[in-house]
Amino acid sequence: MPKQDFVIERYDPVTERSYEQQFTAEYEPGQTVLDCLNSIKWTQDGTLSFRWSCRHAICGSCAMKVNGRSMLACKTQVTDIVDRGDPIRVAPMGNQKVVKDLVVDISNFLDAFERAETWLQELPDQDPPSREYRTDKEEFDRWSHTATCIHCGACYSDCTVVAADPKFLGPAALAKAYRFVFDSRDSKKHERLEFLSEKHGIWDCTRCFMCIEACPKDVLPMDAIMELRTEAMREGITNNHGSRHSNAFRGGVRKRGRLDEATLPILSAGVRLGAIPELIGYTPGALRLLKSRKLIMAAKRHGANREGRRQVRRIFDEVEAEKARSAVDAEAFAAERSSALMAH
Amino acid sequence: MKYAFWPGCVSRGAAPELYTATKAVAEHIGMELVELEAAACTGAGIISDGDPYLQDVLNARTLAMASKLGLPLIDICSTCIGVHSLAVEKLENEEYRARINERLAPEGLEYTGDTKPRHLLWALFEDLEGDRLRSLIKRPLAELKLGPFYGCYILRPERVLGFAEHPHRRRSLESAIELVGASVVTYDGMTKCCGFPILTTNKRNSLAMAGGHVGEAKDSGADALVTPCPLCHLNLDAQQYDAARVVRRKLDLPILHLPQLIGLAMGIEPDKLGLDGHVVNTKPLLRKAGVR
Repeated sequence: MPKQDFVIERYDPVTERSYEQQFTAEYEPGQTVLDCLNSIKWTQDGTLSFRWSCRHAICGSCAMKVNGRSMLACKTQVTDIVDRGDPIRVAPMGNQKVVKDLVVDISNFLDAFERAETWLQELPDQDPPSREYRTDKEEFDRWSHTATCIHCGACYSDCTVVAADPKFLGPAALAKAYRFVFDSRDSKKHERLEFLSEKHGIWDCTRCFMCIEACPKDVLPMDAIMELRTEAMREGITNNHGSRHSNAFRGGVRKRGRLDEATLPILSAGVRLGAIPELIGYTPGALRLLKSRKLIMAAKRHGANREGRRQVRRIFDEVEAEKARSAVDAEAFAAERSSALMAH
Repeated sequence: MKYAFWPGCVSRGAAPELYTATKAVAEHIGMELVELEAAACTGAGIISDGDPYLQDVLNARTLAMASKLGLPLIDICSTCIGVHSLAVEKLENEEYRARINERLAPEGLEYTGDTKPRHLLWALFEDLEGDRLRSLIKRPLAELKLGPFYGCYILRPERVLGFAEHPHRRRSLESAIELVGASVVTYDGMTKCCGFPILTTNKRNSLAMAGGHVGEAKDSGADALVTPCPLCHLNLDAQQYDAARVVRRKLDLPILHLPQLIGLAMGIEPDKLGLDGHVVNTKPLLRKAGVR
């Protein structure tokens, strides 16, 4: 049987010592990282701790970092990740406190679902139907992939925003919120979108695609967050930084065909009292930019050529009219979703 | 070698040194760049917050322009290449493409699916023979330890970026650093988000990301970072002193645009590469490299 070296990041809560330990495990083709961890635990070191249960990528217990990326140990075959005899590096999930070895405290991850109230809020004053509550196929197709989340936390572990802000709701809870926002049996769509548009919600996502790459179940969390943004704006929930930023950006491109860097921060902050400290906050940075000539270049207000601008304005007008007639944005998301699900 | 060239908004605005350096390098190696002057901003994933369809129309238009010229399309921005590549994927859906082509028809354009946008970083390695590329390096930067900073969209989602057909793209920036004779410094943050997309929506988080990555690279021994993304450059260079305040440490790490690095190693003079147009002073770095 082939042999493989593993370097495992360990932590002993009694001595509070973090250290790396190397093991060698035998494996047969088809065996997974989890199989090797179990073999190490059963035959070499019984104190090695990690979570696991189903071994079929359905319980979501065994997410951990393998060679720096979060994934399910039971879904990752050794032969797929061996690289020129290098050891496979195994570490606990990121963005959460380590309890012991590969076990992390997932309470912050789970709290996000509670904060976002990701359960069905039924319609008021309605007699229960004689059978189960039904939905139609078109609606089901829109969100069924998000309902396959197994709460493994791989997305949360790799989320670049959670790393900077532990209060960020995170990809999994936001994807679960999406599932209820687009479920017509739920009564709280607007309230949900209002809550999700607040700080630590949809507008704090950086669109880094980490969660989409990490998810072992193709939930496409970031795409769900993007669609929530569009839906929130469509519902008129626009008194927030993210919507103002998007609208200001769009306005600049409409006018000049290109990003208008000079006015964007001002328009994103908004015309309101609360914006004043924020705009003052830009001043030191702006002074440095001035020194490096960057602000002058930005203020020169480049743009597409005359014909380009004319065509861009035409397209903006036509798209606006088209949006009033049909659900083109939903079509855009459906196109992305189907190709993403097909490719994954 | 002739290309349709989309400079992106930022190289024509707040990062003019990227435009200057790109032109200088292209001229030096004989790449003819036909600039798409009528093309529009990609929307950068921000127009799509409220108007995903509109963003797709704008990008289909740019792709169709390159196709009309019969030239391969070159981007010089990670965000641009990512948004263009995602548009290509969505436009494989025939119904959706037909709808979008109705918006392009009045201008005499049609998106047919034959444009495969590429970043300059990829094209350098794919279109120039390895020997020719190496022979252009007249001033190896052997003294420098450089950290790559990719920018999300040139790495993710992998499925739209041609990584399966072109595996070299996974570590293209490391290859560029090796090409110029410098040593590669790796660090966790090199493939993560610079924070720029949320600079106006959540400045503290944004700068914590930028400051964290720059600090980590510095701790790993990097003399500078190199990036193929002008948006990352804005957060890592132009915002670096504000980011330093958020992470409460001194940073002072120069950030190079990809063509500046290549150009330097090809022997182009620093002032022709806009190296004096950064917020973080690049002179100590140039001295270390033995350029001045």
